[in-house]
Amino acid sequence: MDPMLSLSLRQVAGKRKLAIIVLLAALPIGLAILLHALVGDERDFDVRFPQLVIDGLLLGVILPIVVMTLATPAFGNEVEDRTLNVLILKPVRRIAIVLPKYLASVIVAGGILATAGAAVVLIALGSGGVQAVFAIAVSILTGVLAYGALFTWMGLMSSKALGFALVYVFLWEQFLTRFIRGIRYFSVREYSLSILHGLDDETFSVFEPRVIEFEAAVTASIIVIVLFFFLTLRRLNRMDIP
Amino acid sequence: MTPAPSIEINSVSKWYGSVVAVNDVSFNVMPGITGLLGPNGAGKTTILHMMAGLAKPSDGDIRVLGEPIRGNYKLYSRIGVMSEHEAVYNVFTGRQFVEFSAKMQGVDDVPAAVDRAIELVNLADAQHRPLGTYSRGMRQRMRLAATLVHDPEVLILDEPLNGTDPRQRLEFHDLMQKLASEGRTILISSHILEEVETLAETILLVVSGKLAAAGDYRAIREKLDDRPFQLRIVCSDPRKLAAELVKLSAIDSVAVEDDGSLTVFSRNVAELQSSIARLAKAADVRLIQLEPLDESLESVFSYVVSR
Repeated sequence: MDPMLSLSLRQVAGKRKLAIIVLLAALPIGLAILLHALVGDERDFDVRFPQLVIDGLLLGVILPIVVMTLATPAFGNEVEDRTLNVLILKPVRRIAIVLPKYLASVIVAGGILATAGAAVVLIALGSGGVQAVFAIAVSILTGVLAYGALFTWMGLMSSKALGFALVYVFLWEQFLTRFIRGIRYFSVREYSLSILHGLDDETFSVFEPRVIEFEAAVTASIIVIVLFFFLTLRRLNRMDIP
Repeated sequence: MTPAPSIEINSVSKWYGSVVAVNDVSFNVMPGITGLLGPNGAGKTTILHMMAGLAKPSDGDIRVLGEPIRGNYKLYSRIGVMSEHEAVYNVFTGRQFVEFSAKMQGVDDVPAAVDRAIELVNLADAQHRPLGTYSRGMRQRMRLAATLVHDPEVLILDEPLNGTDPRQRLEFHDLMQKLASEGRTILISSHILEEVETLAETILLVVSGKLAAAGDYRAIREKLDDRPFQLRIVCSDPRKLAAELVKLSAIDSVAVEDDGSLTVFSRNVAELQSSIARLAKAADVRLIQLEPLDESLESVFSYVVSR
C-alpha cells in the first residue's frame, strides 16, 4: 500500500476515534429499530420516518459530524503537531500528500456511514428494496466526498476549522436553508438529499417539495469536490510550512 | 579549483507584516560542517526553513545544489532536513518511522537502508518500540535516522542536539564528522556556541535577523574571548577585597555597589578566575557569591555585532 495512504488510514482510524464514529453511525440504526417497533404501523410512518431519521439525523447531523471529525484534523493536526514538514520534505508531488489524506477520510467515513444508511433503509423502509439502498449509499457517499473536500481544506486553512465547520453545518445548512430557498444550491446536505430523491423518488417522495434538481445537485457536488480539493492543493503549494 | 557552494543564499529577507525576521542575508555553505549560530529568536530557524523550501523568502534567492529549492520537490531526494520541533508520528514504532521516510524517498532497498540508518544512530535495540515511549534524546536520534535514510548529499539540521545527553552528543559529533569526511555538506544550527565550535570549521553568526559574522570559528572565538566581562561578588569585606583586586592587571575596574556587593570589570577572564580565590584567602575575606552578570548569549552575540 502507498505509505502515505497507510499513514493517513492509521491516523484517521485510531481506536478511540473509530469507536466514537461507529457509535454515532449506530444512532440512526438504533432509532430506526426503535421507531419501527413502536410506531411502524402508523399511517404516516413512511412520510415522517425519512424526515426524522434520514434527513434530520443521518444526512443532517451524523454525516457532517463524522466527516468533520476525520477531515478537519487530516492536515489540521499535522500543522498543529508540526509534522507537516516531515511530509513536505519528501520528493513527492503535493497531490501525493493531499489525495491519500482525503481518501483516508472518505474511505473510513464512507464505509461506515453507507453501511449505516443501508441498514436504516432496510430496517425501516424494507419496501424500498435494492433501489432505496443504492440511493441512500450514493447519497451518503456524495455527502462524504463533498464534506470531505470542504473540511480537509478548512483544516489546512485555519486552526479553528472545527468551529467553522460546525457553523457551516448548523447555522448555514440547518438554519438558513429553511428561510432562504436559494441557499439550498450551496448546501452539501441539500445535494445529498436531492440525489437520494433523484435516485428513488418513490420511496423518498416526502422530500419532493424541498429538493433541488437532480442534475444541479450532481453538478454542484462535483464542483465542490473538485474546487476544494484543488484549493487544498494550492494552499499546500503556497503556504509557509511551520 | 574551488568547489561550488552546496547552498547559496543571496540577499534573502523574510518579513511577516511589519516584523522583519531575516534582513538581507547572504552567504554560501560549502561541503563540510558549518554551524549556524545565534541566540533564540535570531532568525536561524526562519533561514533554515527558507533554505529547505518550507518558507518562501520575501526577497532574495536561495539555491541548493545549484537549483532553486522552493517548489522543487525532486531535490528532496538529495537533501535531508531535520526540523527543530521534535515532531514524530506516534502511530509508528521507531523502525516504522524510518521505513516511512525510506519509502517516501523511493529508496531501492528499504530494509537495508533502514537497518543502516538505525545502526548509525545506535538505536537498533529500541527500534520496535512505539515512538511515544522514546525519551527526547532517542526521538531526536530516530528522527536523525529518518533524515539520513536516503543517504543525502546535503544535511540541514536545526538544533539537532536538543534533549541529548553528553554521551549522545559525542556519538553525534563522531557521526557528523564521518559524514562530512565523505564529502557531504552539513549545516547545523544551535544557540549554544560550545555545542558547535568543536564540530564546525565554519560558523555563521546570526543576530536579530542579520548575519553578524561568518568564517573560521577560531576568529569568532577570539572576538568573544576579548570582550569585557562583568562579575558580581558578594563577600564578607567588599572594600578590603576591592583594594586587593585593583592590583591585578586583569582587572579594568571595581565598583562597590549600594548593597555592599562588588561589580568587577575584566578583559582577562582566565586570570580573574585563577586569582580571585587566592586573593580573598590572602586578605582573609570570605567569598559568599560569585555571579557573572552578562553571560547570556544575547550579550555575547551583541558584543560581536558591535565590533
